[in-house]
Amino acid sequence: MSVIKGLLKKDLLNLASYKQSLLIIIAFLAIFSAFNKGMIQFLPIAVSTAMGMIVLSTFNYDEIAKADNFILSFPTNRKEVVKEKYILVVSSMILGGIIGVILTILVNYIMMNINPEFQVVIDYHSLLVTTLSGMFGITLVEAIQIPSIYKWGAEKGRVQMFILIFLIVAIITGAVFLFSHFNIGLDLDSLNTFLSNYGLIILIITTIFMLYISYKISCKIYCKKSD
Amino acid sequence: MEKMEHGKTTTIKSILNIINSDGGVKIFGKDIRKSEKEIKEEIGVVLDDSFLSEYLTAKNINSVMKDIYKNWNREKFFNYLKTFNLPDNKMIKDFSSGMKMKLKIATAMAHSPKILILDEPTSGLDPVVRNEILDIFRGYIEEDEKRAILISTHITSDLEHIADYIILIDNGSVVFYKETEEILENYGIVKTSKEEFEKFDRSDYISYKKGKYQYEILVENKERFRNKYRNSITDKPNIEDIMLFYLKGDK
Repeated sequence: MSVIKGLLKKDLLNLASYKQSLLIIIAFLAIFSAFNKGMIQFLPIAVSTAMGMIVLSTFNYDEIAKADNFILSFPTNRKEVVKEKYILVVSSMILGGIIGVILTILVNYIMMNINPEFQVVIDYHSLLVTTLSGMFGITLVEAIQIPSIYKWGAEKGRVQMFILIFLIVAIITGAVFLFSHFNIGLDLDSLNTFLSNYGLIILIITTIFMLYISYKISCKIYCKKSD
Repeated sequence: MEKMEHGKTTTIKSILNIINSDGGVKIFGKDIRKSEKEIKEEIGVVLDDSFLSEYLTAKNINSVMKDIYKNWNREKFFNYLKTFNLPDNKMIKDFSSGMKMKLKIATAMAHSPKILILDEPTSGLDPVVRNEILDIFRGYIEEDEKRAILISTHITSDLEHIADYIILIDNGSVVFYKETEEILENYGIVKTSKEEFEKFDRSDYISYKKGKYQYEILVENKERFRNKYRNSITDKPNIEDIMLFYLKGDK
């Protein structure tokens, strides 16, 4: 675990140069949502997405320094190296979500004091669902991108990721088209009831499952990799 | 020591279990695949083309490495930085090539490893810095005689100054594995005419080179050769000459 701590420290130190940019992005998002009442609940999604994407740049730092071989000379193994990246990504998303929620409440409170008309009655359940949905979205992207990076490298992996995301969107659009084309009706009311009852738990389980599968694929790719 | 692109780095990667090796590698009597972490705690590594991000400082390196190695010695690391005149709060990207290499060496030695594995530690450096770095390695060995350095280089003159043993690898096969002193003392190059050359037994020399006016042959034991062929004159070869005869000479 100590080696993982060292590797996390290495990545966080690399990311230190993003500190200012991240603060500016968060401040911009907070100000933007302060003047767009309807956007305020989306703040956690935006913040966790920004943080989730920034941590992926640690792969670029490693790639530019060709750090892989040096890191593998440490008292560690490939699985631990992969695990560290997932810990970093998941922690940054969770932290982003928490910062986003706190910021939402804070911005709402400040704006309410400045202009009482601004007040948004925050539904904490829906705020939680929105935050988790955002985290689910970014997890989906990262669950695809991280194995792609291990397979093709940080630069090429990004291109492959866009192709994969395009394919996913195409498949979903195709499925929707087929449903409507063949008049396959969906009982939206039942679906909504089902989602409001079990949506949160499904979201959490699916997010964890995606990360787990992605981690396993990354381990497999990285363990087989030899340059 | 090896011909370019013929497996020096592959050998090192196999030792470090970065790539799979068919035969398996044992270090300190233990299989690297079974006791990887334990073995790597005792190894310090300098790789020519791989290190941590250049956006880190030496201070950052210390902060990272103290969690990586159980035996990491902060004081030792900063002492090395002082000895090598390296700033601790400047980003590595602003270092010269020599400074970068010295930082890699300080990082590799600060946890007092039993073995230092060095891949091309002096390539691309000017002779003054190269000598400084070789001095560092000498000092490291002198501190504790149980320590060992495995150095992979194509700068053969470095080997004459530092190596106790030399392994010459060609196309993945070991051509020879000998003591440096034995090589430099015993090997000889004989320059001779075609007529004289034809009188030599094939088993008395390793290989030969046909020049415009004369033949040059590499012999494994110049004394023995001189005793057998009284009129022959032998020169003392350097490691590079020997390597070239082995790899490029006619058999």
